[in-house]
Amino acid sequence: MRLLLVEDEHDIQAFLRHSLAEAGYQVDVAADGKTAEKLALEATYDILVVDLGLPDQDGISLILRLRQIGVSAPVLILSARRSVDDRVRGLEQGGDDYLTKPFALAELLARLRNLLKRNTPASAEATRLRVLDLELDLLRREARRSGQLLQLTPQEFVLLEYLVRNAGRVVTRSMILDKVWGMRIQPDTNVVDVHIYRLRGKVDGKSQQPLIRTLRGVGYVLKDR
Amino acid sequence: MSSRTANPVVRSAAWRISLWPTLAFACGTLLVFLFLHRFVASDIQRRSDAWLAGEVEVLGDVAEHTPKNALYDRVVGEVAELAGKEVPNRFMSDSRSNDSVFFLQTGADGSLRLWVGAGDSAPYLQAIQQGHILPDHPTDVHVPGYGVPFRVASMRIEDGSLIYLGLSERDQLRVLRHLRYRFILLWLLLVLLGFLIVFYTTRRMLSHVRQITEAASRIGHSDLDARVPTSDRNDEVGHLARTLNRMLDRIQSSVHQLHTITDSLAHDLRSPLTAIRGKLEMSLSAATHGEQAEPIVAAIEELDRLTEFLNTSLDVAEARADALRLSRSELDLDELLRAMIDLYEPSMFERGLRVQLHSTGTLRIRADEALIHRMVANLFDNEMKHLPASCTVTVSLRTANDEAVLTVEDDGPGFAPEVREHLFERRVKGRESSGHGLGLAFVDAVVRAHGGTVSATNRENGGARIELTLPLSTPSSEAAAQEPALARVRHNGA
Repeated sequence: MRLLLVEDEHDIQAFLRHSLAEAGYQVDVAADGKTAEKLALEATYDILVVDLGLPDQDGISLILRLRQIGVSAPVLILSARRSVDDRVRGLEQGGDDYLTKPFALAELLARLRNLLKRNTPASAEATRLRVLDLELDLLRREARRSGQLLQLTPQEFVLLEYLVRNAGRVVTRSMILDKVWGMRIQPDTNVVDVHIYRLRGKVDGKSQQPLIRTLRGVGYVLKDR
Repeated sequence: MSSRTANPVVRSAAWRISLWPTLAFACGTLLVFLFLHRFVASDIQRRSDAWLAGEVEVLGDVAEHTPKNALYDRVVGEVAELAGKEVPNRFMSDSRSNDSVFFLQTGADGSLRLWVGAGDSAPYLQAIQQGHILPDHPTDVHVPGYGVPFRVASMRIEDGSLIYLGLSERDQLRVLRHLRYRFILLWLLLVLLGFLIVFYTTRRMLSHVRQITEAASRIGHSDLDARVPTSDRNDEVGHLARTLNRMLDRIQSSVHQLHTITDSLAHDLRSPLTAIRGKLEMSLSAATHGEQAEPIVAAIEELDRLTEFLNTSLDVAEARADALRLSRSELDLDELLRAMIDLYEPSMFERGLRVQLHSTGTLRIRADEALIHRMVANLFDNEMKHLPASCTVTVSLRTANDEAVLTVEDDGPGFAPEVREHLFERRVKGRESSGHGLGLAFVDAVVRAHGGTVSATNRENGGARIELTLPLSTPSSEAAAQEPALARVRHNGA
């Protein structure tokens, strides 16, 4: 996957380049709009990450220019602004996404994956999900571990489904709140953790190999190996 | 709005404003007319008196000098009849005979000597003898059988007999009556026309004022790009509109400036925060030992709290300045609360707290969903941080006076006296509080930005109670919220 990162802040550029490369992307970096335009003309990128505050021009103007010259790859907009600009909303509706700074790396990666998935034709929606010995029947809303039916509340099932769909990848508390509860909040109490503990108690039990891992300071991951 | 339903015209200021000048105008013209009427009446009387005086003198002359023979009656009678044909103010009479003038001569003993006039002389004679008629001074005499009085002039001639010449005041009164009818008709027309003219001009002017008021009240709810309608006229209303618009320019510019400041502050702080967070995450993934990871994890958590604090601070600052940008949508507060309680209930349970919801069902409001979520989260976080175990949090939702009323109360220790007065101010927190002291200030900010109110009290039987109201969603507020004004302002601000 070729990725073009347009970001002028050196520190952010450095850690993004490193983390994205580690996540398997082939990263090119542009520090301003002009360079970005040149690079986009020379090579074909699968996805772009564009910071809104560029030294030579507005990030949105750059995206519109790139669209004009035929760049159709999805764009993830990074914004340090407080409120979401209307034009960003417009782009968001056009299939792109935005993320406000500061962000967790896991969230950036999840959004990139989502954008890429949207770009490829969706395969027929699966009705069953399976990770190791954990099996989810999405139609009957039932989960089984090693064939044993788990007694989950509907909310717990949705949470588990989200973890399973992102198996092997880190999800943050904010991502869980956003995707499972539909809330963009940052509680300063451990509300998400308690839900995860409860879920873990039901899914992992005592004697089994634990599936749900906590990555302190980052989030949670459902093991797929 | 409801005040306008009863009778819009009578209740309007234009009606009241035009009523008084119209009344004054009507009274004034009426007074002028009364004066004129008196003048005309007395003038008509003066003329008929003069005519009577002249004629009676002529008749007296004739009566005096005509020999008292068989022809006397005829001569004097014909002269009297001739005089009757030159009556002033004469209208065509219905009857052939002239009943508007009579001539009567009595002897010195009061007996009738000569009678020229319509009908029988007896009632006339009786009326004259009853009335005290001074010579040379015409007097009103009421003759039985006639509705209108006669004006009678008299003269004593040398042989001691008295002659009377009477003129009916009928024609004179008819002139005055015509005058009155015409005046009243004209007067009514004038008053009505005057009223209509005043009413419509006032109404037009006031409709301009109403437009200004409506525009101004719309602007009050975040539509800072709109301006009140101005006219080219250089009158007070035009001046008012222009003054309001200048004021709005200033407000918009300060709000714009505030947004610029908060945006750039956010931007300047967020970039380094992003870089720091990124570096911390990188070192976290490199750290292999739990001991190494621990401080990094703590730092990341601290940093996320700092970010949240920054966001909340700026929101509170903007809300205090009435400049918080809302993106409203229709939402069900009941459903939202149930979802949030679902989210919080397990953690509350872990801490030994119980939570219950009393709700009357679906309750629609137009609000910024993300802000309401954060606000309720703040309220719940607040409860969780301050309540000792085995307490109960009761959340109730109801409607009262077209408002949604949300109450969050507990049976814990209640608010400490030293913070109670300043709960909704920034950075106010109890001594044992671990928060940053923005929670309730943020709640207050969000509620106010949505046009609601919030109050915090200690319950009588112990425990804290926070009650807040939010306006219900109505069709009109839906229409008002259509304006993409926020966006327009934000463009400039970004």
